[in-house]
Amino acid sequence: MALNPWVVIVIWALLILLLTGPLLTLPYLMTFPKRKEDPFRDMPFESGQVPQGEARHRLAMQYYPYVLMFVVFDVVGMFLFAWGISFRAISASASFVVLLFLILLGAPLGFALRLALRRENW
Amino acid sequence: MVNLPNTPADIVPFIISIITSHTFITLVIFPGMIHLMIVSAFLTWYERKLLARIQLRIGPLYAGGIGGILQPVADGVKLIFKEVIVPYKADRTLFTWIPLVLIFLGTLPFAVIPFGAHWVIANLDVGLVFVFATTSLFPSMIIIFAWASNSKYPFIGGLRSLFQQVAYEIPMWISALSVVILAGSVNLVDIVKAQSKIWFIVPAFLSFIVFFICIMAELERLPFDLPEAEPELVAGWYTEASGAIFMALFLALYLKLYMMSALTTVLFLGGWWGPGFLPQPVWTILKAMVVATAIIIPRGIYPRIRVDMLIRIGWTRLLLIALANVFITVLVVNSGLLTAWGL
Repeated sequence: MALNPWVVIVIWALLILLLTGPLLTLPYLMTFPKRKEDPFRDMPFESGQVPQGEARHRLAMQYYPYVLMFVVFDVVGMFLFAWGISFRAISASASFVVLLFLILLGAPLGFALRLALRRENW
Repeated sequence: MVNLPNTPADIVPFIISIITSHTFITLVIFPGMIHLMIVSAFLTWYERKLLARIQLRIGPLYAGGIGGILQPVADGVKLIFKEVIVPYKADRTLFTWIPLVLIFLGTLPFAVIPFGAHWVIANLDVGLVFVFATTSLFPSMIIIFAWASNSKYPFIGGLRSLFQQVAYEIPMWISALSVVILAGSVNLVDIVKAQSKIWFIVPAFLSFIVFFICIMAELERLPFDLPEAEPELVAGWYTEASGAIFMALFLALYLKLYMMSALTTVLFLGGWWGPGFLPQPVWTILKAMVVATAIIIPRGIYPRIRVDMLIRIGWTRLLLIALANVFITVLVVNSGLLTAWGL
């Protein structure tokens, strides 16, 4: 008799943590108690030079129109899976509405791509 | 389900019944831990050997005794005993534990990927969605790791990784949607069972191409390895990783490579189906290795593409092809061309 698959997944997750945990815990415990401050060893890598300025600086968020498209198509992709499973069960007219919605989504998609391909909008 | 022991004499049969149970064997031995450790160690060796063959790298080609098969073990031992260097002002907690989370995320999807009709850890109804949900957590963990390491190269690499994996996630889902329409299920075992007469690469060839390009980008393999572009960003988002952290990150990346190869096999290449002279799991592993080879070989051949080209290809070409695929699949299924194969 088989267990509930979600229970098995929880056991699997615990097993992963049990077996891979020591992989990082042991070096962590071996290394850190006897550490001394060493400014040259702990320096972030910057091609052999002393790091200049903040590493966590603010970058301009480029490719902004693409990110807006992600917000739309993330949700659409999720709901399309629910439609894909029941595709054979529902009638063709019901599927037609979904496909019509995808076609209608093509217009804003084309507009967004037109905006996104312009260099000044990045 | 086994009975709990009532008397001390029952304890040994109880333990034996647990160890010989199907769940235990799948968890620990075959699609589980031991198999994954062996295969991920094998893949590091295999990638080196393959690239050495392509690019005539003398070191990996001739190093070691038995074809250098002990090299992964030597690397593991070396990296475990190296000192873990945490950069100045880095977030020590995140820097140390995010690699563990990445290994966790790379290993978790194997619970639902079937290697044979009964060789699956958890026969989950929402298997494919589970795999996609787990893999879509990778870029956020990578950007956290890059942020934590307080260095400029990892930060830029992490941002690139975020953009790339986000851009190629959507075409990947939508190209997998045509498989879901053909099989009528997101249970990965049912998807493979639906391919008993014809592999889905034949009716859904275009979506196989899109899916393959997308997993190349998700795995940050050349020609899409912008997040770890060596000439520009030293080593990308794991520039500051050293010792055990470096090993954990590489283990996670190779587990992800194997996971994506196995997923491609299950979705498009017929999973465990093959001539009967070999057992089912062997066919799945062989096909996954073929896919992994096809993913590795471009690393020895192609140059890297530019970041704006990468994003543009992902959103304009691949997304449109993947959306067109949905319509093609609907037409193919409705036209009844596939009824001869029971689809």
